[in-house]
Amino acid sequence: MIVVENITKFHSGRPVLDDVSLEIPDGSNLGLIGPGGAGKSLLLKIICALVRPDRGKVYIDDVDILSLDEVELAQLRFRIGMLFQNYALFDFMNVADNIAFPLRQGEKHTEAEIAVLVQGILDEVGLPNIGHQFPNELSGGMKKRVSFARAVLPEPPIMFYDDPTAGLDPVTSSKIFLLLKDMRDRRGVTSATISHDIQGIKDICDNFALLERGKLIFFGNRDAIEATDISIVRQFWDGFSLDELG
Amino acid sequence: MSAPAFHKRLLSKFGAVFVAQAEQIGGVALLIWEIILHSFPPRLDGPETWRNLYRVGVKSFPIVAVTAILVGGIMVIQSGTYIEQYGAYGLLGWGAGYSIFREVGPIMIGLMFSGRVGANNTAELGTMKVTDQIDALRALAIDPIGYLVMPRVFTMIVMMFVLVVVGDFVALLGGAITSRYLLGVDMELFAWSVVTYIGLHDFLHGLYKAVAFGFAIAVISCHFGLGTKGGAVGVGRAVNSSVVGSAIAIFVIDYFITFIDS
Repeated sequence: MIVVENITKFHSGRPVLDDVSLEIPDGSNLGLIGPGGAGKSLLLKIICALVRPDRGKVYIDDVDILSLDEVELAQLRFRIGMLFQNYALFDFMNVADNIAFPLRQGEKHTEAEIAVLVQGILDEVGLPNIGHQFPNELSGGMKKRVSFARAVLPEPPIMFYDDPTAGLDPVTSSKIFLLLKDMRDRRGVTSATISHDIQGIKDICDNFALLERGKLIFFGNRDAIEATDISIVRQFWDGFSLDELG
Repeated sequence: MSAPAFHKRLLSKFGAVFVAQAEQIGGVALLIWEIILHSFPPRLDGPETWRNLYRVGVKSFPIVAVTAILVGGIMVIQSGTYIEQYGAYGLLGWGAGYSIFREVGPIMIGLMFSGRVGANNTAELGTMKVTDQIDALRALAIDPIGYLVMPRVFTMIVMMFVLVVVGDFVALLGGAITSRYLLGVDMELFAWSVVTYIGLHDFLHGLYKAVAFGFAIAVISCHFGLGTKGGAVGVGRAVNSSVVGSAIAIFVIDYFITFIDS
């Protein structure tokens, strides 16, 4: 269970996250939606302690992760996978080494096993023959899939996906969403997914949170979001615009 | 603008510059402390260390060799006028060698090194920072100081040392060739002058500086790289600050080592 309590973060004196509280029950997937610049990516980084908030707490399985030192945080991060919005692939490694990197750090697999696992996940994301290529040789969509492969291959029990389908064609997007669904249903992964593809995350998320200008406007399950009459939530959920989103 | 308002604005600007500089110095000090903590026990990532040894060292040899051979020649040309005036050809090797070993060799190679390797290092780390690669390392439970900074510090110290050793002798060769073909002084006489008048401590004096310069360039370039903010523009700014900071550090360190070891 992940609990976020009263998270506030200032940037240049202005709150970019303002008193945000929510929960992600074990084995569930939280859909984080909202306009660009609302603080969604920042919130994910705070939840996995990559950024420290100015106020608030984050608990993962009742452990206050913001009170942990770097060694304890490193132990915790072995249990967390993160797919970054702008890929975050290591430029100086080829695709296969990028994907194998977390497995090599774990030191639980032989090189032969790693090669098989890497090829397997590359096949799964539809990029079977690019292991030898470097990130700067790939398109945005390919980078996204490689980044996804690197994040999910170690099978962490907690996953954060920051816009996993941005820049992907509809077929590959639906395949990625199926993989996300599989991570939750079959492997019981606890996760949060930022996406602007509302149709896509409707079926893979259990709860939804909408952020706007750093404030949590809505938090609830699918029934609640379908029943709400909050204007901006309706616009996002139904995919139309009543007025300027700001 | 009234005088009090002008003074207030001046003081505010001075204060902002002071705070910004203090932040950088504090940041460098903190990074040095982190490096000390990570040195006990020493642990380097093998592939990353080898990659940096190649990138930092092997690829720097050509530019260092060209610089050194020209520096050696320049030393001989500069002293040539007086050597000819007094007929003191036996001192030519000493004059060139003394300045190369103790001062010009480490300084020139240090500046080349900071411009080529330090700037490249800041740009690489800065790009990693603004494209979330540093956060990705941390998210994968990898400590960026241990994985990225420690191999760079190690390789820059080692390679600066090696490049200064090689550069010193290439510079002497450049000096000997110039003295032979420009002043007509035999290479044997040049070599005799070097061996006779220059002691081991002169050679070591330059190597102390090489090690200190290598450490300074590594720390400063990593500090500015890891502190990069603001996308591509921020990377450019960080590289600029890194090169300027390294150059200042080289001269400050040179001043103190020269003062202490003279």
